[in-house]
Amino acid sequence: MSWRAEVLAAWAVVVRNALMGMRNVFFFFELLFWPVVGVLSIGLMTRFLGLTPEQGTFVLVGTIALSVINVCQLEVAYAMLLDVWSKSVKHQFMAPIGVRHLTAGAWLVGMLRGFLIFVLLSVMGAWVFGLNVLAAGPGPVAVFLLGCFLTAWVVGVAVCALITLFGNRAEAFAWASVNMVLVLAGIYYPTSVLPRPVAAIADAIPLTYFLDAYRAHFGFPSEFTAPITTGLALSAVYAVLAHWAFYAAVQRARQTGLLLKMSE
Amino acid sequence: MPPVSAPSLAVEAREVTKTFRSGWLRRRETVALRGATLSVERGTIFGLLGPNGAGKTTLLSILATLLTPDGGQVRVLGHDVVHEAARLRHRLNMASGRPSFLWSLRVDEIVSFYGRLYGLHGQALRRRVDGLIDQYELGPYRRAQYNELSTGIKQRVALAKALVNDPELLFLDEPTLGLDPDVSVRVRQHIAALRRERGMTIVLTTHYMREAEELCDEIGFIKAGRILAHGTADGLKRQIGLGDVIALKLDVKPVWLAEASGVLRCVEVDGWIECTVDDAEKRVPELLRAFAAEGVEVRNLQVREPELEEVFVELAR
Repeated sequence: MSWRAEVLAAWAVVVRNALMGMRNVFFFFELLFWPVVGVLSIGLMTRFLGLTPEQGTFVLVGTIALSVINVCQLEVAYAMLLDVWSKSVKHQFMAPIGVRHLTAGAWLVGMLRGFLIFVLLSVMGAWVFGLNVLAAGPGPVAVFLLGCFLTAWVVGVAVCALITLFGNRAEAFAWASVNMVLVLAGIYYPTSVLPRPVAAIADAIPLTYFLDAYRAHFGFPSEFTAPITTGLALSAVYAVLAHWAFYAAVQRARQTGLLLKMSE
Repeated sequence: MPPVSAPSLAVEAREVTKTFRSGWLRRRETVALRGATLSVERGTIFGLLGPNGAGKTTLLSILATLLTPDGGQVRVLGHDVVHEAARLRHRLNMASGRPSFLWSLRVDEIVSFYGRLYGLHGQALRRRVDGLIDQYELGPYRRAQYNELSTGIKQRVALAKALVNDPELLFLDEPTLGLDPDVSVRVRQHIAALRRERGMTIVLTTHYMREAEELCDEIGFIKAGRILAHGTADGLKRQIGLGDVIALKLDVKPVWLAEASGVLRCVEVDGWIECTVDDAEKRVPELLRAFAAEGVEVRNLQVREPELEEVFVELAR
């Protein structure tokens, strides 16, 4: 495939997901309602519990990361879900495209939506709770966002693989799986508070390292050496594994006939 | 060494098998294809007919690279459908009888989306989309969202999408299913025009015998996962040996008619007595002499070949 065809196939998915996002009310709830409710309720809870500004920052950074990852990951999962819901899966897989085009195109839209969420919640955090997420400087913010987006990509692609493997029954993974990852990665607490076996799982999650690196800029001691490098390396490994799983799931769906069952 | 397709063949499938397996604890197996063999000439319209569950859609999906066969050899446009599927997909497309696309996308956006997947962009994409929208008279619905369209319009959108890459081979799965008669006629006209004007090879499945007879150069009857018969509509009628049909309007039906020499069966349909005979040229004079001898008045008489539907019923039995 020429580079132009590669870009076009991914761009087709960008346009499709963006158009669907603009025309469906549930996208609005994902983009605005739940993230705003999340930051407001968690922020107010930090006040009620009388947390120090540093502790409040720690928790709110985690809340913002949760929303950014959630929205971006769902968008990646929509690469499959939109076609499953509309029963048009076979048209997508009859076209000469690969899973990489679906996941890359959906990820681009997911990053855009995730960035919008980040800006919105950062402004709200600053205005209501005095949280300055940019205090760490643009570089760390960019790395933190990249970490969130990479985590979302990996989870989203894995969800696509599960949906392709198990059909509609696996839809719940789109909403459940990322929350499990976020709980383990320590969004509201350092992973050192987790029981040892669970902490070992947390150590295998890229987001753990990106959160750690970002929070270090707010005065929290880092628990890892070279957290950004570790996070990027883990993300790269998982991205390859998730894409292999998605590809294998599509091949299996061609074998079992699930590709047709998920179509008209 | 795999067989090399003759250049004139668009599809060459030999002994194709496919079994679907389901269930975790209690495994269930459904055998869909049991060694289906068929070939389709380039530039022809080929109809795949058969009762429900015969394996039509399974075979069509294998040819379209949507399913992988368990066994047998399948070459489409000279490519192996399993090992060369990626290269093949540029040259194929498909439309189904109950099409479904993303509910919120507009007609032109749906065609554009698939056009981009096939590598079209810029002016070329716009021209192709505009051309298909004109060709299928979708102009008034261009900005309508898919979930607002009627069944007939959705079918036209599906055909426009299926032609966006100007495929050499087009698969149509029940293309007129559930459409009003006037819309069906127009869809059939479009299909015939594709072959006539572009020389496209078309493989379609249908339940409608008239549609198959009107559109298809060749027909394959599939039942229980096997192609039972394959040929032109007239050839199949001869091949099955159903004889000829003599349709009669008589003032009174003689009791001996069904037992007369050369008469295979007699049924009454809408006031006509339809007798299937082994050879009409021989039996018509004999019957007329017998009616005259008994004083039976023949008010009308027609001789015709059996309908494709009768061939279908015979084969599906």
